[in-house]
Amino acid sequence: MRTGRRLIQDYWGILLILVAWQAWVIVNQFNPIVMPTPISVFDALITDPVLFLENTGITFAVALVGMTGGMIIGTSLAVATWLSPLLSGLVSPLAVLFSSVPVVALIPIIARLLGYNVSTEIAIVVIITFFPSFVFASSGLRALPPGSDDLFRVLGASRRATLFRLALPAAMPNLAIALRLAAAHAILAAMIAEFLMGTSGLGYLFAKTNDEFQTEQAFGTSIVATAISVAAFLLASFVERRVRSHFS
Amino acid sequence: MTGEAQFDPDGPAITATDVTKKFTLKGSGDGVLALQELSLAVATGEFVALLGPSGCGKSTLLRLMASLDRPTTGNVTVCGEPPDAIAARHAFGVAFQDHALLPWLTVYENIALPFKLAGRTPDDVAIREMIVLVGLDEFVSARPRQLSGGMRQRVSIARALILDPEVLLLDEPFGALDAVTRRQMNIELQRIWLRDQITTVLVTHSVDEAIFLADRVLVLSGRPGRIILEAIVPFDRPRDRSVMRSEEFHSLADELSLALEPSED
Repeated sequence: MRTGRRLIQDYWGILLILVAWQAWVIVNQFNPIVMPTPISVFDALITDPVLFLENTGITFAVALVGMTGGMIIGTSLAVATWLSPLLSGLVSPLAVLFSSVPVVALIPIIARLLGYNVSTEIAIVVIITFFPSFVFASSGLRALPPGSDDLFRVLGASRRATLFRLALPAAMPNLAIALRLAAAHAILAAMIAEFLMGTSGLGYLFAKTNDEFQTEQAFGTSIVATAISVAAFLLASFVERRVRSHFS
Repeated sequence: MTGEAQFDPDGPAITATDVTKKFTLKGSGDGVLALQELSLAVATGEFVALLGPSGCGKSTLLRLMASLDRPTTGNVTVCGEPPDAIAARHAFGVAFQDHALLPWLTVYENIALPFKLAGRTPDDVAIREMIVLVGLDEFVSARPRQLSGGMRQRVSIARALILDPEVLLLDEPFGALDAVTRRQMNIELQRIWLRDQITTVLVTHSVDEAIFLADRVLVLSGRPGRIILEAIVPFDRPRDRSVMRSEEFHSLADELSLALEPSED
């Protein structure tokens, strides 16, 4: 009872939109192909939950694998520039260049290189997510506690020890920010890739149902996509808070 | 220097010979002369305080000893070797005004850090003894942010001493503390220091702190820093608060303060 009241209190805005939407469609007597009612969308979702769950799982997996890869690559590149200023002159401009190319323009090229399959989708997510982790890791590796770099030098720390015991832990709060930014982007990127060239996942499901005038399903797909984006963001924010409180 | 190979254990632990340090600053052609032809020697087991107005180069001198910087001309040796060699064999103990504790490590782990950096297995018994010595036995698993300023500096001192360093370098370790805590920390540092009597150089701008802790106080002039006064502190150890109220203490403090004054123009 109390939780019910809390829910209404916190989310009455969403409820209002749903009610208004339902009323709007009924009053205007829209064709369901143009604009379905929220109730029929909900109906579509529970009629074939396996279809949605399966494709959600695929999109989530693509986003997760791609994001992990992107963060590993971004962090590794940042470590490389930390180790060698010379390498920094090569990596930094290339990273900026790569990240400024619109991903939508990159998709056909990558698809031709890697094939119209899941590896291209993952590659897209990697490209979207590596840059924030590169930038945040680069500055994080240099945001050391005051005096700690002097301390490590006087104590005769090796380069390796300085990296693993000082620079990388010091970069963790920044990497956590990169994770939060990447999490929301990763799901969006996975869906765009699926939408444009995919054979599975929520992006593909949306494209397919939309083409087939199954508007309820298309709307259902969007709602599921929104839900998992928000979930990913909240999860990443939670991780970020934990990491930040541990490392700073 | 020719005598680097044969270090005499009864000779000076630290020497500076005609040390000049010039910093080049962007935009100024000449650069800033921080130290000029400064020479000093610190005996093994001696506690020397470097006293001087801010910006006089006393921290620069300590950084030269700590291998963090090199003299423009002149020479610095520690235990008969270049400072780099001492750092490489993990034989320095240091504490700065920035306590430089790692926020993601506990008190215990921070004190164990020098072992790790030296590639050694942390000596649990020694670490726990050290934690008791600095009075933090109830805070073994606390994080730096849970500690007061004085406690953090105690951890920092413990970390400096944990590897039984050959030389202890302290740069304003209590500079950020309030006067009461600072005096208390001075008494504690003396007690801790008496255990091993490690050769120590303390940089400070507090006259009282210098006299209370040191065997010998060197006063540096304003920039460029040179030694303008040397005072032997006559008090026996352990010293207590009553020493600070004695006539001798006050006259020595007056003498040192006077030497400090002209450079504050």
